Amino acid sequence: MSQPLLEIKNLHVTIEGKPILKGISLTVNRGEVHALMGPNGSGKSTLSNVLMGHPKYTVTQGTILFQGEDYTALSTDARARAGIFLAFQYPTAIPGVSVANFVRTAMKARFGEAFEAKSFRKSFKGALEALGISENFATRYVNDGFSGGEKKRHEVLQMTLLKPRLAILDETDSGLDIDALKTVSEGINRLRGPELGILLITHYQRILDYVQPDKIHVLKEGQIVRSGGKELALELEKTGYKPYETEAAEAHAAGAKGVLG
Amino acid sequence: MKSVQTSQFPAETLEALTPEAPKELQVERRKAADRFTALPWPTAVHEEWRRTDPARFNLTGWSLKPQQRTVTVGWEPLPEAAARQGVILTDLRTALREHPDRVMPHLFQSGKPEQLEKHAALHQALWSDGLFCWVPAGVRVETPLSAWIEPAGTGGRSGAAETDSVIFPHLLVVVEEGAELTWVDERRPGPQPAAPIWINEMTEFFVKRGGTLRAVRLQQWGTGAAELQLQRALLHREACFSNWIMGLGGGITKGNIEAVLSEPAVRAELLGIHLGAGRQHFDIHTLQDHRAPNGFSNLLYKSALSGQAEAVTTGLIRVTPEARKTDAYQANRNLLLNPGAHADSIPMLEIETNEVRCTHGVATGPVDDDQIFYLMSRGLSRPLAQRLIIQGFFEEVLNQIPAESVREQLIGELSSRLDRIDASGEDSGG
Ligand SMILES: Nc1ncnc2c1ncn2[C@@H]1O[C@H](COP(=O)(O)OP(=O)(O)O)[C@@H](O)[C@H]1O
Ligand SMILES: [Mg+2]
Repeated sequence: MSQPLLEIKNLHVTIEGKPILKGISLTVNRGEVHALMGPNGSGKSTLSNVLMGHPKYTVTQGTILFQGEDYTALSTDARARAGIFLAFQYPTAIPGVSVANFVRTAMKARFGEAFEAKSFRKSFKGALEALGISENFATRYVNDGFSGGEKKRHEVLQMTLLKPRLAILDETDSGLDIDALKTVSEGINRLRGPELGILLITHYQRILDYVQPDKIHVLKEGQIVRSGGKELALELEKTGYKPYETEAAEAHAAGAKGVLG
Repeated sequence: MKSVQTSQFPAETLEALTPEAPKELQVERRKAADRFTALPWPTAVHEEWRRTDPARFNLTGWSLKPQQRTVTVGWEPLPEAAARQGVILTDLRTALREHPDRVMPHLFQSGKPEQLEKHAALHQALWSDGLFCWVPAGVRVETPLSAWIEPAGTGGRSGAAETDSVIFPHLLVVVEEGAELTWVDERRPGPQPAAPIWINEMTEFFVKRGGTLRAVRLQQWGTGAAELQLQRALLHREACFSNWIMGLGGGITKGNIEAVLSEPAVRAELLGIHLGAGRQHFDIHTLQDHRAPNGFSNLLYKSALSGQAEAVTTGLIRVTPEARKTDAYQANRNLLLNPGAHADSIPMLEIETNEVRCTHGVATGPVDDDQIFYLMSRGLSRPLAQRLIIQGFFEEVLNQIPAESVREQLIGELSSRLDRIDASGEDSGG
């Protein structure tokens, strides 16, 4: 029997003592695409950051198994080198560090001895072209002054070149126009294969027209409240997140209306 | 009653330092020695010594015996084209012998430094070795010229002699009217980098009308070095001066860097990088001295400090009443890599005319955790992530160096300095 790629078991997470994730369990097998949907504030980015080992979050209970090994306490860089990749919802600018230098350094870290400096130029150029990114991108500074769309393409560019085993895409579709969404989705689809597992985090079902998920999960207040197949996306399209909104958010929205009206 | 001071240096001792020097230089030496003797050693009550212990530079209890340790100077051979065009690059004493007409109008003629008066007097009394570069009017030197200075060994005498090693190197670079030069001068650690040594150095730059000088100082003294760094640039009408200070080495630096925009329409760019680890200490005063109309000056100094390193940057912009239509800017940014590291920025403005545009900006802070996380999420170890951030932080200064070869050399030196810091664990000192 083949081992799951990622197994999250009863994961509880706090930030600054405040509980955010309250018992998440989720299994992603090789070759699968799981969509994780949910309203703002439900804990989607928290989960992706925790999977990447962000030091600000505390795992109070539960485990993260990657390829059968306990990764719960592993450092961020070791996770990345093992093949976990996070496409950030809000990528950070690193002024003064060029995209080419950054990507080359990351590839060296990821592939070690196997990294071929000689073929870097070619594969880098190829990946730029495939994502419709202009070549002058190479000399620009990482995420510095990038538009929203450029940031997302840059994340997918790195994902393409770093060849992860598990890719977590945190709202990579947000803020993209339809053309950019198509290009980025094609970029993701090109990477799909029997080895790669994808956790596609999204607020909208729009991207699911382009990147077909095997499973869909709905996150609400730090818990997975529903899991199902593609049909769940269509249902969500009709009903929206209304049934999944937090009571607090509803109360907030109602209050705001009251003030305005 | 005025007390009569007698210099503690016998005239013969002073003159023996540069026997080839013309009479008037020897006279100036004696006068400087008298000035030195008459002035008190600075104490911590002096504003300029509030953040650096003056005792480190006061040679307290030290009997001045010049020439205890000598200076080695060297330079890359002058390109043939430059030599043909009359460019001179040689050591200062040879220059005094062979080109007194070029040296004498400039040596110690850039004006008295406004800080470190006593130390400057000592330098003028005791200087011996150094470098001289002269570019004739209208000559454009295509390739960058580079030279270096390093302390020579103590010549087999160990023990006591090492504790009072002292050197007084002097650099003189003159770019005549309409000439152009890119100049790199390096300070090397010498054969005993950890041995205590006291350096009292002066650099004079002259850029005549319409001339261009891009000058890079790459400071890589050994860890035992306490340096006093005096640098003065006298800039004439329509001169263009760009200066990069790369402070990578040394134990403690007290620097005074002055650009004098003495005539109209001068452009001066003053850029600096200081990379400190362990207990390194940099205390730099800068002066953008606008004395004539239509001048432009821009200063950007950046420090990255790990361990318990410290940087003090005091920047004065002065605009005299004559200096109408002045644009003068300064910015100082510090990156603290460790809670034990410390930076102070003290911008100062003395503006005596109305038609000026002046800004100053200061920012000091730790490395951004989000940047570290982002880089580590791509597989970079924490030290590697930090190094990339440091290099990125300095990029803004380095990318302005027009000569590709020089830029690459500096990036390489920065990188090997970072290697040594990583290897020694100096940055975890706090
Ligand atoms: N750094 C933080 N400090 C405090 N609270 C946070 C922090 N990051 C997220 N939260 C809180 O955690 C909850 C989940 O946030 P997040 O994971 O970003 O949600 P999503 O990505 O689904 O919009 C929200 O209530 C948010 O306010
Ligand atoms: Mg989010």
